[in-house]
Amino acid sequence: MKKDIKVPLLFLAPALVLMLIFMILPIFVSFYLSLTDFNVFALVDWSKAKFIGLENYRKLLNDELFWKALKNTLYFVAIGVPCAIIFSLSFAILLNRPDIIGRNLFRVGFYLPHITTTVAIAVVWKWVLNPRYGILNWALSLFGITGPSWLGDPRWAMPAIIMLVVWKGLGYNIIIFLAGLQNIPEHLYEAAQIDGANRWQQLFHITIPLLRPTTFFVTVMTLIGYLQLFAEPYMLTDGGPLNSTLSIVLYMYRQGFKFFNLGYASAIAYVLFGIIFVATLIQMKFRDEEIQY
Amino acid sequence: MKKALILILLLGIILFSTLSAFAAETITVWAMGAEAKKIGAMVEKFEKAYPGLKVKVQAIPWSSAHDKLITAIAGGTVPDVAQMGTTWMAEFGSIGVFEDVSNYLKNSKVIKEDDFFEGSLNTNIVDGKLYGIPWYVDTRVLFYRTDLLAEVGYDHPPRTWEELEDVARKLAADGGYGLALSTNNYQEFMPFVWQNGGRILDENGEVAVTEPAFVEALEFYVKLFKEGLAPIDAQGTNLFQEFAAGRMPMYFSGPWMVNLTHEQVPEIDGKWSVALMPEKKSRTSFIGGCNLVIFKDSKHKEAAWKFIEFMTEAQNQVEWFKISGCLPANKWAWEDTYFNNLEMMQVFGEQLKDAKAPINIPQWAQIESFIQRRVQEACYGEKTPKEAAEALARDIEGVL
Repeated sequence: MKKDIKVPLLFLAPALVLMLIFMILPIFVSFYLSLTDFNVFALVDWSKAKFIGLENYRKLLNDELFWKALKNTLYFVAIGVPCAIIFSLSFAILLNRPDIIGRNLFRVGFYLPHITTTVAIAVVWKWVLNPRYGILNWALSLFGITGPSWLGDPRWAMPAIIMLVVWKGLGYNIIIFLAGLQNIPEHLYEAAQIDGANRWQQLFHITIPLLRPTTFFVTVMTLIGYLQLFAEPYMLTDGGPLNSTLSIVLYMYRQGFKFFNLGYASAIAYVLFGIIFVATLIQMKFRDEEIQY
Repeated sequence: MKKALILILLLGIILFSTLSAFAAETITVWAMGAEAKKIGAMVEKFEKAYPGLKVKVQAIPWSSAHDKLITAIAGGTVPDVAQMGTTWMAEFGSIGVFEDVSNYLKNSKVIKEDDFFEGSLNTNIVDGKLYGIPWYVDTRVLFYRTDLLAEVGYDHPPRTWEELEDVARKLAADGGYGLALSTNNYQEFMPFVWQNGGRILDENGEVAVTEPAFVEALEFYVKLFKEGLAPIDAQGTNLFQEFAAGRMPMYFSGPWMVNLTHEQVPEIDGKWSVALMPEKKSRTSFIGGCNLVIFKDSKHKEAAWKFIEFMTEAQNQVEWFKISGCLPANKWAWEDTYFNNLEMMQVFGEQLKDAKAPINIPQWAQIESFIQRRVQEACYGEKTPKEAAEALARDIEGVL
């Protein structure tokens, strides 16, 4: 075993070196940066960045906008993740039924937004959400509801973003759930039917419990992705109005690449890393043992 | 025999190529966005005027321009000349990568300091040094629907703040709005402050946003939203449509909107016009645009300067306007008969005489975001204008 490792290592070397330079190293460098006051003046002359210890983190605790961004992100996650799971699971179950007409068409339809660039989607959604001429408010008006100014009202901007993100991610989650559904052995349903279980009982006692590993995977991935919300508010609202859609990553981007406070931005990145790490740990804890069919 | 021939031929080629390299000095120019596509015609003229000089233009999209400049500065691969957005001058100027061109300008026979609009030239001054020459400018003016204003009894655009408010109120009476205004764009907000004699920093560099002149301007701005004269939630609306439909019959914007309005809503051609900013103590507007800079590390500074001279000289500025639609930064270009026939452009030319740029300091990007945040909080009524100004003062003091 031991003498064999050299050859595989040799083949892995290019990938390992690249990973070391472009992934591992930056992780440490940015951690060091978060302990300095690296700003626009240090760009040309790196010696101008001073080591300031945990000062950036202390400043973060007193930064009103950071707390607002954190609150916005958690609000987004708290509503967005359950919505994403429930909708994609429901659609996956529907799409898994052999008696649905145009099943493949729907599958493609749901997957399309996932592979479309956010920029294009943002342009379209700006039209959809247009308060006067948008299709969404038009649809609402059919039911006698006067729709809000989605992106202009601080109360409705985040729900609008949630709507968009959930819709965009639907296709990917549906594919994962479909794979999970197809792994559930058919004989369990047959046995249940013989015992006289109706569709709902089958859903709650077979499908959902047996889907747990899939649900776990989807939840973790969605949560991690949603905590890093960036492109949608960046494209649609730039964090506004009244910073109601400012997410942590958007705030980090502003500090880092607009103001060039790279030290401060790195500190934000590490706080976000901590949050994601803890959230994932908690989920791991709640996870059941592997399910055996 | 054959060998010798090849040898001679080879020698000839080498000699020729080295000679021509000596003969033509090449300068590299970085141009951004649409300008990069159009600058070729000017470069041709330049090379004809200076046969010994060659220009290599590198096109850089605006979206990656900032990163590219940073990388070039860090890696020492900067061009000789670059186009620079006015709000970037302070950031790059203060880290000392531009050549101070004040001596070049003093000795120049082609251009001189007072050829340029004062507000525009000021965007080139960082820490008391002149780091560039204005290339083109833009400024904001009032766009308004002549027909709708006439209906409410105005045969002229609003000339003062009082008239602006009055006409907006009359226009809004039919259920629409008086004008479109942004809650989060300092370029629309700052002119009101300047018109009222306000400022961000006073002459000693102290934060001056709690001065009555600033707070009053903010109060007026907020009032327009509070009384429903301007839509608080204009984000996500389509200004062209609203302008054409008459729901937002006035707005403040720059020269680019002239052509865009013709293209997007041709049905209202002839029913709208542009006018100078309304007056309070002055009718100051915002000035933006681009400058041309020489990098300190350039090895062809003389040639680079010749290029800048050429591009900013009055006649060539008129040519450049014809090619690109970019407004001349050189005042004399506006005297050209070509502009006499462009009525709307004349308004921009007039407005440029009273137009200002915000302070030129490297922290500007942050100050800009502070202004936008606090103004928005005041517009939405989260804070009174006075509270917002005080919060803004604290924000700015924190980064100075």
